[in-house]
Amino acid sequence: MSFPSGGRRLSDVSIAGASITSGSEGARHRGAARWGFILLLPLLIVAMELGVSLFEPRVLSLRNVINILVQTSYLLLFASAQMVVILTGGFDLSLGMAVSLISVATALVTTGSAAAGAPAWLVVTAGIATGLGVGLLVGIFNGTFVSCVGINPFVVTLGSLNICYGLATTISGGRPVFNVPDAFSRLLYDGTFVPGIPIPVTLAIIVAVLLYLLLDRTVFGRALYLIGNNPRAASLAGLPSKRYLLLAYVTCSLLAAFGSLMLTARTGSGEPNLGGSLMLESIAAAVIGGVSLQGGVGGIVPAILGSIFVTMLSNAMDLLEVGGYVQQILLGCVIIAAIFLDRVRVTRS
Amino acid sequence: MSGNSTSDDAASASAFERIVRSYNAAGFLPVLVTVLLVAFALFVPNFVAVQNLLNVLRSSSYLVIIAAGQMLVLIVGGFDLSQGAVVALTSVSSALVMAGLKDTFAGEPNLIILIGILAGLGCGAIVGFVNGACVAFLRIAPFMVTLGTMSIATGFALLLTSGIPVYGMPKSYVEGFGRGLWLDLPTAFYLAAIVVAVIWVMQNYTRMGRYILAIGGNMQAATVSGVPAKTYLILSYVICSILSSISGLALTAQIGSGQAVINAQLTLESIAAAVIAGVSIKGGVGRVEMVALGAILLLTLTDAMDLLRIDPRIQAIFLGIIVVLAVALDELSQRRAALV
Repeated sequence: MSFPSGGRRLSDVSIAGASITSGSEGARHRGAARWGFILLLPLLIVAMELGVSLFEPRVLSLRNVINILVQTSYLLLFASAQMVVILTGGFDLSLGMAVSLISVATALVTTGSAAAGAPAWLVVTAGIATGLGVGLLVGIFNGTFVSCVGINPFVVTLGSLNICYGLATTISGGRPVFNVPDAFSRLLYDGTFVPGIPIPVTLAIIVAVLLYLLLDRTVFGRALYLIGNNPRAASLAGLPSKRYLLLAYVTCSLLAAFGSLMLTARTGSGEPNLGGSLMLESIAAAVIGGVSLQGGVGGIVPAILGSIFVTMLSNAMDLLEVGGYVQQILLGCVIIAAIFLDRVRVTRS
Repeated sequence: MSGNSTSDDAASASAFERIVRSYNAAGFLPVLVTVLLVAFALFVPNFVAVQNLLNVLRSSSYLVIIAAGQMLVLIVGGFDLSQGAVVALTSVSSALVMAGLKDTFAGEPNLIILIGILAGLGCGAIVGFVNGACVAFLRIAPFMVTLGTMSIATGFALLLTSGIPVYGMPKSYVEGFGRGLWLDLPTAFYLAAIVVAVIWVMQNYTRMGRYILAIGGNMQAATVSGVPAKTYLILSYVICSILSSISGLALTAQIGSGQAVINAQLTLESIAAAVIAGVSIKGGVGRVEMVALGAILLLTLTDAMDLLRIDPRIQAIFLGIIVVLAVALDELSQRRAALV
C-alpha cells in the first residue's frame, strides 16, 4: 500500500457500530445516499454542460460535442491504462513519457520505412508493431521491478519516467519527427469504419468493451481487484499474484501505447513532449471517476466518467475563455474536491 | 566465526564484525558515495577543481533542504508533489514583494529583504497547511492533495507574473546572500547544514521525532497511544513546505530574479534522493543525514556527467536506472538480511 491512512479503519469501526443500532429505515436512507453518490458525477457533468450553455450556447453544438467525444477517446485510453495498475494498488508515473517515447519511435520507423520505399501496408504494420513493442518493453520493465523485485511502484515508474524521457529526446534529437505517412493517419484518425462516428471514438469504444470483458469476465481481471484489496489473501488463495501484477503493468503500457499511436496518427508527427501532462491527467481522470488509490476499487465506467468530466471541464473553460493559468488553479481545486467527495462516498457505502 | 579461535583471530573478527555492524546500520550509501567521489576525482577531468566543488556544494544544498522536507512527509506515510510548485510560488512572491517595496522603503534594503522573505515563507506555510489539513482532516490521499495544490500553486505563480521573470530585488540580497561566499563556502551550504542539524536533533532528541515515526509506522496505534496524530501530521506538511520555501528563497537569490518556472525536476529529484537514502515510501523509516547523502550523490553524479560532456538527455536515462537499481539493491539486501 502506498497510502496507509490509518484513520480509515477507525471510521470503519464507528460506521459498523452505527449500522448495528440503526434500523431498516437507516438502511433505506443509506441506500438512497449511495445511489446519490453513484449518480453524482454523471449529474455533475450534465449540470455543468447545461450551466455553461447558458453563457455560451456553442457548448452544446454538434461540432463541439463531437470534439469533446474525440478528445475524451484519447484520455479514456490513458485513464483506463492507469486504472488497471491503480486497481492493484500501484500507479504508473512513466505513462506520459512512455507515450512520448512510443510516438517518436513509431514516427521514426514509419517515416524511415516510407522513405526506403516500403509499401503502405508494411509501413503501417511496422509502425504499429514498433509502438506496441516499445510499450511492451516499458510494461515488462515496470512490472518486473514491481512484482519480482518488490520495489514500490512509485520508485520504479519514476525511474522509467526518466529513462523514457531520455530515450525519447535522444532518438528524436528533441525535435518533432514530421511527415508520418498518410496511410498511418488514415487508419487511426482520418478514415471511417462506421459512417458518422470518428475513428478515435470507435477505437475507444472497442478498447473499452474489451477492457470491460477482461476485468469483469476473466480470472486475471477479477484477480487484479483481489490483489489490490488484499494482496496477502490473493497469495494465500493460490493466485499467481506476481505474474498477474506483471501482466497488469504490461496491459497498462500496451493501452498507453495504443493511445500514443492514435495521438501520433492525429498529429501526423512524433512529438517528444506529447505526453508531458498526460501522467497527471490520466491519474486525475481515473481517480475523479472513482477509482480508489487504495487499490481494489474501479472499473471501465469510472474511467469513462472521469475522462468525460476532465475533458468537458477544460473544454468549457476554453469556450468561456478562462485563461490557462486560472484553468490550472481550477483544475487543482476540482481534483481535491472530487477526491474528497470520493472519500465521503467510500465511507458511506 | 568459529568459537575456538585464538585471541588474535577474535580481535580481528570483532573488528571485522564492527565494520559489518556499522555497514548494516548505515547501509551501502556512504560507501557508494565515497567510492564514486574517489573515482570521479581520479578519472573525471576538472572534478576536483575548486570552482566545480563549490558548484556541486551549492546545487546540492538546495536539494538537501528540499529532500529533508520530503523525508518528513514520507515518514508520516505521505508524499509532497507540490514542492517544486512551492519553490516557484515562493520565488515569485518574494521577488514581487521586494520589487514592489523598492521605492517605498528606498533606503532600507534590509527591511525590504525581511518582508520579502516573510512573504515567501508565508506562501510555503499556507500551501503546507492546506496539504496537511486535507490529509489529516479530510483524509484525502496525499498524492492527490499535493497533486491538486501543485496545480494551484503553479497556476498562481504563473498568474502573478504572466510567466515573465521578476527583477528588482535589492542588490545585497542577490550579491550578498544568493551568490555570496562566507568563509569561502557558498551561503546555501550553511543553510543546508543548519537545516540538516536541526532536523537531526528533532529526529533524535525530541518528542516530535518519535511521534512522526510512530504515526508513519502505524497511525492507529499512535492515535490510541495518545499521540496527537493530526497535529503532527499537519506540522510535518507545514515544515516540508517551509523548507521548500527556504530553498526557493536561496535559489531566487542566486538566480537574481523571481521565476514561475523553476527547475521542474526538483520534486522528483527530492523524492529520488529520499528514496535512495532508504526512506520508506510506506512511512515510518528515514534519517536526515542519509537523505543529505542521497541528495549529494544525485548531484555529484549529474555534475560528473556534465563534466564528461554527457548529453543531459542521456543523463536522464542514467538517473532513472540509478534510482531503480539503488532501491532494488536495498530491497534485495534487506530480504537477505531477513533470511539470515
